[in-house]
Amino acid sequence: MAAVTGLWERTWVRWVVAALVVVLLVVLPLILPELANQRLARIGVFAVAVLGLNVVMGYTGQVSLGQIFFVGVGAYATAWAVREEWNIVLVFLLSILVPGILGLVIALAAARLGGLAIAMVTIALPIIGVPLAKRLSDVTGGSQGLSARFSDAPEWSGLYDDQWQLYLVILIGGIVFLLTRNLVHGKYGRAFAIVKANEAVASSMGISPYRYKVLAFTVAAVIGGVSGFLYMVVVQYTSPETMSFGHSITLLASMVIGGAASIIGSLIGGAYYVLVPEITNAIDPSLTALLQGALLLLVLFLLPGGIVSLPRVIRRALHRSRRDAGPQGPTASSPTRPAQGRPAAEGTTHTERQGQA
Amino acid sequence: MNMRSRTRGVLGIVALGSAVALTLAGCARGGGGGDGGDGGEAAASPGITDETITLGITTPLSGATAGPGTCTVAGITAYFGAANADGGVEFGDGKTRTVEITALDDQYDPQKAKSNFDQLKDSVFAMTAGLGTPTNRAYREAAIADEVPQVLVMTGDPIFSDQQESPWQLGFVPIYQNEGEAFGKLLAESGQEHKVAILSQNDDYGEGYVEGFLEGIDGADNVEVVKQLTYEATDTSVDAQLTELAATGADVIFNAMSITPLAIASLQKAQQLNWFPSWFLPSNTSSPGAIVEPGGGAAFPGVYTVAFAQSAAAPNFGESPEGKAFLEELAEYADYPEVPAFPHCVWSYQVGATLEQAFGQMTEPTRENFMEALRSIDDYVAPFMLEGSTVNTTEDGLPAVSTVVVQKFNGKGYSSVEDFG
Repeated sequence: MAAVTGLWERTWVRWVVAALVVVLLVVLPLILPELANQRLARIGVFAVAVLGLNVVMGYTGQVSLGQIFFVGVGAYATAWAVREEWNIVLVFLLSILVPGILGLVIALAAARLGGLAIAMVTIALPIIGVPLAKRLSDVTGGSQGLSARFSDAPEWSGLYDDQWQLYLVILIGGIVFLLTRNLVHGKYGRAFAIVKANEAVASSMGISPYRYKVLAFTVAAVIGGVSGFLYMVVVQYTSPETMSFGHSITLLASMVIGGAASIIGSLIGGAYYVLVPEITNAIDPSLTALLQGALLLLVLFLLPGGIVSLPRVIRRALHRSRRDAGPQGPTASSPTRPAQGRPAAEGTTHTERQGQA
Repeated sequence: MNMRSRTRGVLGIVALGSAVALTLAGCARGGGGGDGGDGGEAAASPGITDETITLGITTPLSGATAGPGTCTVAGITAYFGAANADGGVEFGDGKTRTVEITALDDQYDPQKAKSNFDQLKDSVFAMTAGLGTPTNRAYREAAIADEVPQVLVMTGDPIFSDQQESPWQLGFVPIYQNEGEAFGKLLAESGQEHKVAILSQNDDYGEGYVEGFLEGIDGADNVEVVKQLTYEATDTSVDAQLTELAATGADVIFNAMSITPLAIASLQKAQQLNWFPSWFLPSNTSSPGAIVEPGGGAAFPGVYTVAFAQSAAAPNFGESPEGKAFLEELAEYADYPEVPAFPHCVWSYQVGATLEQAFGQMTEPTRENFMEALRSIDDYVAPFMLEGSTVNTTEDGLPAVSTVVVQKFNGKGYSSVEDFG
């Protein structure tokens, strides 16, 4: 295990792994069967949505139950602009601009509130969104929804539709993931972390919790908009049900299950969102809701830190068993409180970061 | 410096790898082939062999619409379960096949419906019976592109019955306009003077009903619409609208409402206002046990609705031999032991019967041939059809069932009426 970690520290290893991932992402769509491509594309869509939720909730600690609203707005903006025959680049810009502006305006008001009050405000978004989408039928197509088939593979590419769509998702989603990773690992990420940990400390250091909450919320809305655009690329149809409140809760559950405040966790969250309904359907289609609930509880009991914490848990378990087997035997304190070991360590890194900030 | 050259090396690997992969992939999918339908005319379509045919359903089996959704699977499963037990269904090409059904839950989520379709399309012969406008719309265009039949689906959306727009689709249940029109015509033909108040849901559901109703009374000078109000599907009360409508003194209210508690509250509010008009309710909010009785509907001179099939919840349904057999088949083959509270179980059973008619006329095991056969069913009386209703798939622009019968509440259930009053 140590050897692996050591190897990972070297720059060239990281580059090779990154290159391998890129090659895989380029090659896989070409060799996988159609269904697998469609599945991967759908995972990409919701991974981006979960990523947006992670920015505001996982990294900044503000409970948002409205993420699906921004996904829906992005999808509607895309569908509408495609119908108006806009250039695809403009369509994309619109699909992030509209949710972004909406997110900013809502955040300006909502971020004044603290704690759970923000959650209450964000609950309202999908609850308003569904009837609004039905009501504004000139723009949204009412309860019959809007179709937009704009993501079929162009003639020159020689690709199948599902391959083309997956490439679009990988390209756009990949850029969003990279940008978000840079955001949360940089200066803004440190500020988000302090706001999450303690707003009073943040203020005392000259970091305005209000400003950073608004920023995180807006970024989440923009990422939600991207997810909405990708939703249209893959599903090619949106209706008021797209933004129903239940999906917002599922997104939240996906984020927690994948791993809050984690980039990889967002990917796992997307996979959870897409694959679990399929798996439960395969087991028994009339028990899907029940099975999904059971699975949710199971993961939360076994891996409170989300699936992304699985390697860490395994590593610790290995450590412990090795130490138990070792000649000097376990020390008195450490095995009894393994769960606290990690957060404490993270706590110290926080203080280091705060010192730097 | 060192770092730079390494980076370039990595990029080189990426480029090389990509190039190799691209060349490899050129032939990766071609061999597997079969992305779409134009493989060869006589070759059998997916999902059908000489012994079996598989049908796919995506419908809500959990969540708020799980009740009717479960019924859409149960009815057709019961129908073909019984047919399979009798040896199978005879097809027009002389072969007898058993019918298998693969049903998946979409939770009334369009995205999941599309995902279910993607999963099923290569293993099922046709998609059928699924409930819901957005969920069926979500994969409509994909079904057209992949040339997969999406037929006899449970949605009142007219687009599924427009052959120009939906060459591989056909709706089963009447569209909203059909229902409104039937009641409008009955009023127009009554010969008496009527003042009508309209209260409708402010969306395509309510608009469809009102559009049909206005068409039905078009040109009739004995019917006058005195006031037309709407409410939002999210409203928790329509007391204000009812008070306003009551003030008009109308003797008929056309109430295009899809929300159960609001429909009950409307019936009660009118009584409190001492206003007793004849009442029209749409087919999905006219349940005797769930709406009319709790609302005290017996106080009104008449509560009307429209229907095309017998209600399994009606008191004498289980006593008839067909009704008894239906309930037994539901319990035996579809794991549905209760008497269904939703009409969708009977409808889905009728979908099964209609499909059997189409299968009987299929001369080739292909989807194209099936669509042709399906579009040639004329005046077929499916099990539990009310007198006056038939399955007719030959007319473009209309769903398989477009004729509805107006019914009047008789204290327990509904019975068909010829004239108003």
